[in-house]
Amino acid sequence: MPEIEGSPGSSMHGVTGRESVMAFSVASPMVHTDRTAKFDLPVDSEHKATVFKLFSFANPHMRTFHLSWISFFTTFISTFAAAPLVPIIRDNLNLTKSDIGNAGVASVSGSIFSRLVMGAVCDLLGPRYGCAFLIMLSAPTVFCMSFVSDASGYIAVRFMIGFSLATFVSCQYWMSTMFNSKIIGLVNGTAAGWGNMGGGATQLLMPVLFEIIKKAGATPFTAWRIAFFIPGWFNVIMGILVLTLGQDLPDGNLSTLQKKGDVAKDKFGKVLWYAVTNYRTWIFVLLYGYSMGVELTIDNVIAEYFYDRFDLKLHLAGIIAACFGMANLLARPFGGFTSDYLAKRFGMRGRLWNLWLLQTAGGLCCLCLGLVNSLPLAITFMMLFSIGAQAACGATFGIIPFISRRSLGIISGMTGAGGNFGSGLTQLIFFANASFSTEKGLTYMGIMIMIVTLPVSFVHFPQWGSMLFPPSQDIVKGSEEHYYVSEWTEEEKQKGMHQASLKFAENSRSERGGKVASAPTPPENTPNRV
Amino acid sequence: MEVPAGFLVVSLLLSCFATTSYGVYFSSLKETLEVTASPTKGQVLKAGEDKITVTWRFNQTYPAGTDSDYKTVKVKLCYAPLSQKDRSWRKTVDLLKKDKTCPHKIVARPYTASNSSFTWTVERDIPSAIYFVRAFAFNAQEEQVAYGQTTDAHKVNNLFEIQAITGRHMSLDIASICFSAFSIVSLAGFFYMEKRKAKASQEK
Repeated sequence: MPEIEGSPGSSMHGVTGRESVMAFSVASPMVHTDRTAKFDLPVDSEHKATVFKLFSFANPHMRTFHLSWISFFTTFISTFAAAPLVPIIRDNLNLTKSDIGNAGVASVSGSIFSRLVMGAVCDLLGPRYGCAFLIMLSAPTVFCMSFVSDASGYIAVRFMIGFSLATFVSCQYWMSTMFNSKIIGLVNGTAAGWGNMGGGATQLLMPVLFEIIKKAGATPFTAWRIAFFIPGWFNVIMGILVLTLGQDLPDGNLSTLQKKGDVAKDKFGKVLWYAVTNYRTWIFVLLYGYSMGVELTIDNVIAEYFYDRFDLKLHLAGIIAACFGMANLLARPFGGFTSDYLAKRFGMRGRLWNLWLLQTAGGLCCLCLGLVNSLPLAITFMMLFSIGAQAACGATFGIIPFISRRSLGIISGMTGAGGNFGSGLTQLIFFANASFSTEKGLTYMGIMIMIVTLPVSFVHFPQWGSMLFPPSQDIVKGSEEHYYVSEWTEEEKQKGMHQASLKFAENSRSERGGKVASAPTPPENTPNRV
Repeated sequence: MEVPAGFLVVSLLLSCFATTSYGVYFSSLKETLEVTASPTKGQVLKAGEDKITVTWRFNQTYPAGTDSDYKTVKVKLCYAPLSQKDRSWRKTVDLLKKDKTCPHKIVARPYTASNSSFTWTVERDIPSAIYFVRAFAFNAQEEQVAYGQTTDAHKVNNLFEIQAITGRHMSLDIASICFSAFSIVSLAGFFYMEKRKAKASQEK
């Protein structure tokens, strides 16, 4: 069945998890390279790049990659820009601990909805306009910080800025139009990890800007407001760059390539149904809230924590806080790497154990972070916690592609939303309450992380097993085909709509592990005509 | 031989979890200084504009020689309990080096037993809150040895309020509106121009 542009879930199609994280290029016999196309990178029949050349800016593929991840990075900077400046802002606006906590919750809640809407926006306007609209319309919200004079204004502005985190969706969607499905896992993972680094970079950037502006003569309560102009300008600049330098598809822009024939799209209702009725979806929604979610929470609270607990100067607290977010550069890909590595030997069971180990270790380090009283130890536990949590994020998306083939896009979207939800929830429970201190909050959050990670042991694939149980011995029920084709009704199977799932099932046999010689893979790309 | 090494590691780890508790405790200090400040009870002062005049001297009712080791006096602006509520970064802790009650320094002077005074303009980074004034006497080792404050032991009497500056400026507001308008207009402009180009190329 032809790959339908823009159908629900198509943005993640082809992410099999089979690609090792170090697969920078595609073995050519598998993918038919279109040699007639004149692009800087080798492309397939859809003109999607089959090679990922990190340090190139070649139009359109690598240029898209860089525009995309930098836009996502910029929105992270804007969303978390207030966090390292809270010690100044709380004095200016007379905030209480609950005000600060609520603002943190607000900053991550808006994007729960905007991420769900963004998929539709990308379908309608294309990822280029989706991205540009979002960051240029959220630039005014960043500039609004200069008007804020009390707690309610502060919370409202942080809520509005938080909508811009939906660039995650446009980023991943845009990548999938430009990169072949065999390397899309690596490309998307790198873009997501590097975008998340913005949460760390801002902890470094904002205090430095604040100090410079103060040195230039501004009083502190004005200097922080001026500092917010810089993230606002980043938003505008990136929006303009995306509009002028970017394009939706390898061959041009969406509006000129809209009509693609009268092939039936998959029904949204069905895709949603299979996502929602798969219990594994909900376990991962919960789990991602305690890997990505706690990462966002820490982005919001850690600078203030180091400032208050260890009496550090603002920019020093910012540097330490930045290290947490910047670890994403390597930690998130590391989680994907260990997932792939363990899958070679132990299959899906290895991936599940990997996720459980990383996330639980992160939780344990978070617990210790709240308990220690010395600065060097606090920094050590914070870094170990960051590696655990961020690697767990990478490991999560090493498993998600296998939950469902039909509903992959929606499950990814729901998981992402779960991350934001977890962040809002942990900030509300542990850091908006005046009744216990921030260090106690960190300890309790660490305990909750370890408890919430336990349900991953319930994730059972009949064909591959789970953490504690081996795969089903039944010949029919224990096959990959049975699992993936069960998402289609008889009617749909008769129309042949399940062909892509069958192919995926065959490719996924490597998740049995045990260094099984993988079956020769048929060419991934079917021609666009039936 | 492994036991001592293991014990050392464990005790090292445990010691890092334990709080360090050396230092001067506020409850050990005597209130031997008499401090008065110019703001009357409940008066509201504006940051950056109004002034506070603080006077302090040794309370003569204490035996002579009590102040023999006082070397310097540091006068500080302190938060009243009402302004510490729900704000753990202003918490009162008995161990003085961890105490956050009095973060704002007014003046530091060498100690004299007779009347001293200082007039201070409330700085522009002082937040809006309810305050009182406290003076600490330090010895030669820079440790607190005595104190005096303008309020009572429960910190309810004789408190005054300071109103902070907003930090907002008309020029910032205008700049913010201009940049926001630029962002929206340029986005709309691009969109409109591209739609026109697409229509023009379709009509060709």
